[in-house]
Amino acid sequence: MSAKNTWKLHRWSTVLLLPLIVYLFIKIIHLSTLSYQLILSELSNLWGVGFILIFTVLGLIHMNTGVHEILDDYIHSDVVKRILNLIISLFFLLILIFVCLSLLLIFIG
Amino acid sequence: MVQFNLPDNSKLTDGDYYKSEKSNGNTKKFKIYRWSPDDEKNPRMDTYEVDLDDCGPMVLDAVMKIKSEIDTSLTFRRSCREGICGSCAMNIDGTNTLACTKAISDVKGDIKIYPLPHMPVIKDLVTNLKTLYKQLKSIKPWLMNKKQNANDTENIQSRNDREKLDGLYECILCACCSTSCPSYWWNSDKYLGPAVLLQSYRWLQDSRDEERKERLKELDDTFKVYRCHTIMNCTQACPKGLNPAKAIAGIKQMIAQQ
Repeated sequence: MSAKNTWKLHRWSTVLLLPLIVYLFIKIIHLSTLSYQLILSELSNLWGVGFILIFTVLGLIHMNTGVHEILDDYIHSDVVKRILNLIISLFFLLILIFVCLSLLLIFIG
Repeated sequence: MVQFNLPDNSKLTDGDYYKSEKSNGNTKKFKIYRWSPDDEKNPRMDTYEVDLDDCGPMVLDAVMKIKSEIDTSLTFRRSCREGICGSCAMNIDGTNTLACTKAISDVKGDIKIYPLPHMPVIKDLVTNLKTLYKQLKSIKPWLMNKKQNANDTENIQSRNDREKLDGLYECILCACCSTSCPSYWWNSDKYLGPAVLLQSYRWLQDSRDEERKERLKELDDTFKVYRCHTIMNCTQACPKGLNPAKAIAGIKQMIAQQ
C-alpha cells in the first residue's frame, strides 16, 4: 500500500472509531446492569454481533497501522522490521479469529 | 535500532573554569559545550564568567566576547548577528534558537549552550549540516516553469497567490526546527525534516511553479513526509516564528487530494 493510502487508512479508521468507542462505553455501562442471560441475548442479536465485528476489524486495522508506524520510526534494520511486522500482523489476525469464533459461539448459543 | 545510551567517548565531563577578572558583581556564567576532533578527549562543559556591564545584550555578544577576550579556541558559526543568516543556531537554555536574537536577560541563572542536538559535531558549537543541505537539494528548491524559460517574459502572480507564500519564504534554513524534531533525530537519513518540508511547501504553493504534481509524487513516500507525527517541536523552536508543522500538514493534505 502506498504511503498516502496508509496515512488515509489510519486517519479514517480513527474518525470511524471515535463514535464507536463512545457507543461501546454506553453499551458497557448498560450491559453492567443486566443479568448474564440478558447480556448473552443482547450480544447475540444481529446488531450486537455486527457492532462487535465492525469495532474489532476497525480497531485491529488502526492498531496494526499504528504499530507499523512505530516500527518504521524506531527499527532501522529492514530484516528485523519485516519479521516484527509479520509477527504483529499474525497476532492481530489471531485476535480477529478468536473474536469471530466467540461471536459464532454466542450467536448459535 | 535506535541507540538509547551514549557511547563512552560521548559522555560529557566537567571542563575548565574561567573566572572574570574585572568583575563588579554583575556577571553571568556561560557553560559551553566543547569538543575538538584534534584530541581524543571526551566532550566537556567549560564555564566562563562574563561581565555583563561590558557586554552586548545578546547571547551571541557574550559568546563573541568569550572568544575574543577569554578563550580564542572556542569555535562557533556566526555572520549577520541580526537573525537573517541563521549561522549562529545553537541550543541555548534547552531550546534551539539563534544566539544573535536570544537576549541574555531572557535566561534565568547560568546559560548552558550546546550545539544543535543530534547532529554530528565538527568542533565545539559547529555541527555538520551536510545531510540537511543534501535533502534541501533533493526537493529542487527553485521555480520550475518552462513557459518563463522560453519567453523570458514577466511571470505575473496575483496578490492572493503571493500571499500564500507568507510565512513560508521567510525561512532562513537555520535548522533549529529540524534538529528539535525527534522524528528527525531517529530518521534524519530518510525523513526530510521540518526545515526542508517547509521549503518544499513554499514551492508547492507557488502559483508560478508548473511541477506541483511531480513534486508531490516525489514526496509520497513512507519516510520523506510521513515520519512527521505532529509533535510540534519545530513550530515551538522556530526563531522566526514560522509554522513548519502547518506546512507539513498542508503537504499531507495536497498529497491526499491528488
